[in-house]
Amino acid sequence: MSYLLLTLLLLPLVGSGLVFAWKNPASKYLALGIAFAQMFLTFYMLSNFDFKPTVDGVLQYEINYPWSNYIKSNLHFGIDGMSMLMLLLTNILTPLIILSSFNEKPGYRNTFYGLILLMQFGLVGVFTSLDGLLFYIFWEVTLIPIWLIAGIWGQENKKVQFTTRFFVYTFVGSLFMLIGLIYVYTHSASFALTDLYNADLNELQQTVIFWFIFFAFAVKLPIFPFHSWQADTYTYSPTQGSMLLSGIMLKMAIFGLLRWLLPITPAPILGISGQIVLVLAIIGVVHGALIAIIQNDSKRLIAYSSLSHVGLMTAGIMASAILTTKGILMIEGGEGALVQAFAHGINVVGLFYCADILYKRFKTRDIRQMGGLARVAPKFAILFLVILLGSIALPLTNGFVGEFILIKSIFDYSIIAAVIAGTTMIFSSVYLFRFYGKAMFGEGDERILETAGDLTGVEFAVLASLTVFVILLGIFPQPIIEMVNTPLKFIFTSMMN
Amino acid sequence: MSVLIIIFLTAVAALFAGVFEQGKFSRYIGILGLLIALYVSYLPEFSFFTQYQHMFEFGANAALFTKITIVITILLFFIAGFAFSNHRSHQSELYALMLFSLCGGVILFSFQNLVTLFLGIEILSIPLYVLAGSNKTDLRSNEASIKYFLMGAFATGFLLFGVALIYGSSGSFDLYKIHEFAVTNPKNLMFILGAVLMLVALAFKVSLAPFHMWSPDVYQGSPSLITAFMMSVVKISAFFAFFKLMTIGFLGITGEWINIIGVLIIITLFLANVMGLAQTNAKRMLAYSSVSHVGYLTLIFYGMNSLSSYNLAFYLFAYSLATVGVMMCLIWVEKLKRETSYNAFRGLAHTEPILAVTATVSLLSMAGIPLTAGFMGKFAIFAQAIESTPFLVLVAVLGSAISIAYYLRLIMAMFFPKESSFKTSEKVSLTYNIVAVFIIFALVAMGVFPDLFAKQFGL
Repeated sequence: MSYLLLTLLLLPLVGSGLVFAWKNPASKYLALGIAFAQMFLTFYMLSNFDFKPTVDGVLQYEINYPWSNYIKSNLHFGIDGMSMLMLLLTNILTPLIILSSFNEKPGYRNTFYGLILLMQFGLVGVFTSLDGLLFYIFWEVTLIPIWLIAGIWGQENKKVQFTTRFFVYTFVGSLFMLIGLIYVYTHSASFALTDLYNADLNELQQTVIFWFIFFAFAVKLPIFPFHSWQADTYTYSPTQGSMLLSGIMLKMAIFGLLRWLLPITPAPILGISGQIVLVLAIIGVVHGALIAIIQNDSKRLIAYSSLSHVGLMTAGIMASAILTTKGILMIEGGEGALVQAFAHGINVVGLFYCADILYKRFKTRDIRQMGGLARVAPKFAILFLVILLGSIALPLTNGFVGEFILIKSIFDYSIIAAVIAGTTMIFSSVYLFRFYGKAMFGEGDERILETAGDLTGVEFAVLASLTVFVILLGIFPQPIIEMVNTPLKFIFTSMMN
Repeated sequence: MSVLIIIFLTAVAALFAGVFEQGKFSRYIGILGLLIALYVSYLPEFSFFTQYQHMFEFGANAALFTKITIVITILLFFIAGFAFSNHRSHQSELYALMLFSLCGGVILFSFQNLVTLFLGIEILSIPLYVLAGSNKTDLRSNEASIKYFLMGAFATGFLLFGVALIYGSSGSFDLYKIHEFAVTNPKNLMFILGAVLMLVALAFKVSLAPFHMWSPDVYQGSPSLITAFMMSVVKISAFFAFFKLMTIGFLGITGEWINIIGVLIIITLFLANVMGLAQTNAKRMLAYSSVSHVGYLTLIFYGMNSLSSYNLAFYLFAYSLATVGVMMCLIWVEKLKRETSYNAFRGLAHTEPILAVTATVSLLSMAGIPLTAGFMGKFAIFAQAIESTPFLVLVAVLGSAISIAYYLRLIMAMFFPKESSFKTSEKVSLTYNIVAVFIIFALVAMGVFPDLFAKQFGL
């Protein structure tokens, strides 16, 4: 019984209730305070965290309460290295995301911040739950706030159409996951994680369940043919919505893939299904990057770059998983995906914020109409460049470590696949430098540049905090890699038998 | 039995109270009587007359469903003061008729004999024919009344023919004797025909497609509070009768009717959800959604176990609460705007946040989003059925996937526009807000602590 984890779960929930109730412009400070408190609590838990536990003691800060006899489900939460990493990502980014909106006037402010905190509650739940039904419930809990954020504060003329599509898409995916989980549950003793791992299923059943559950993750990630909702939603959501979606929410699917899908259904990964997923993921890598190159809308460009990066993470996981089910224990893919998930979260939030800052200056998202901002905004130019380099995966930035391990793990599986997936590094430098070059250098509208100005205090604070993480993790990636090592070993070993 | 008598006496008292003042007393008498009935249904004396001449049996299930319908009726009575405020006269009759209809429901929860089943269905339905047409100046209301009456008469015909065939083959009206006969003679053609005819009649009553054709028109035409009553209390009663008849009386010939039900489920889920998607009127959308919920519910016949009737109660209670939640919002909008298109709800969240949140939570519950009661209800039924019929569960899931789109439309109409189309001077009453908060609380509590409900209803 850990009161620390209980506090971590309930603080954002209670906080969102308070923020909802307090109809005052000052409620944004309350929201920020709660988010920072949550961040410090996470750091405190990290400082007491055992980085190299034995496999038996892989879970820390465990909570286990009987919840419902009716459905044989427990309120079971706990943290292992994987969860810890994702919690760090969530709780570092949330205060920054809240802070990043301080210059805006979204209207009904307290609702906006209340929804962000509610979303944080859902995310913490997803990353810590050890019970299948709880996982599903929190998975859905995150959907409602982001949908409302996108719908209420989104771009006026398009929002009804795209938010409906977004919601229906993800909801359908989740429903399939629910059916998959229920089916596993009817073959296991309860919804507990270990019971689900040991469910008695033959290969056909496993294959069907694999695709049902994978569908939910594929939509959330998104993987190649299921991505049609993504670019529109990222583009027309408010910036904070895009940050939450791409920075944190899609990591739920990476996490879910490792924690919930692969160990429950190892059989189909050995068969054709695993290879199909791998191929789809690699198609996504190239497809996303190529479309990003021809984009002129800055947010859309970042959306497609995100598609490309996520494809690489999935490909890495699948490559290692296929090798593992063949009998060669490989955890590099999982390691790389998690390190990259963390790095990508930081980078993509930074990129979206830079796009937002550019939008404020130029009043357009069309990168052809931007130019010359580096001259008047040197601080912005430098911070933007650091985040950009992180996203391109330059050595000594956070993006490099993850991408290197990922490509290495795909290389172990197939050299051709690694070569194709590796193009992401080339393509990403093409589209991002095109973006950066157009916006920062070249001909700009002088009247705009005169009034543009450099970063404001809030903007500087957010971007500078992000760049600290970009460089820090580029130089010292080892703690993160160690953190996820033991849980990944546990997961991949359980796939072998 | 005592509960039935109390409700009946309340209804009579409410009827006569109309002499003194326009309906106000009747409402209070109704609420008071129902509260007493609810209290009595918790007493051990509820088991007084547990068996009455092989006509009634008041077991645990009867008690559970009686409690649920009484709670829903009380909620409806609370908001009825506002809903009926346009009816200048004859208000007390409306309350009395609703109570009489509820009596029919209680009879259906405890029938043990096909005669009682018939009586229960008629006592449930006949007041509704009048109630549906109670908005006398509205043509749609008149149409609803006529349509409901004609369809109800058809269904009664099928039912009686079915009963006659059952009696002719088994020689008894008693549910348990019929059960014994079905077990020993599973291939008796006359009996099977009777069972199928009764199935059709009850499918009419619970509006399973393709026997649902009356329900969108009737639900749309009736006064909104009556629609809420039909969607909740009447549906609970009719469905439980259906459930009990099929799972006790005709259990021995399950193989003969279960496939028919499977086909009906597929048609229902497909038709109702696609038609619901096509609607532009919120009330009509809710009518189709109500039909689709019968489709999900009917999956209860698959993978039956000892918890099935409890799962059924959970789902029906969750659905009924959600219906009351949406309908009370709709009644308020209808009163101000005199129409119920999606557009009429524009920006409701800005002027009446509590009402809009109630409707939203209710709609999310109907759609089966976690942390609401509707999710737990759907979960229980799907988990029960998935082993014996994965295909139908998949159909049901696709149905809910379609349904989410039309529920969202109403939520988006309330929340997404930046400005509200309501004047700020109009405010809902305190009673209304209390009921709204109760519904939010109940829906979330049932979704978060599903075991709480079990304790509440003595399971």
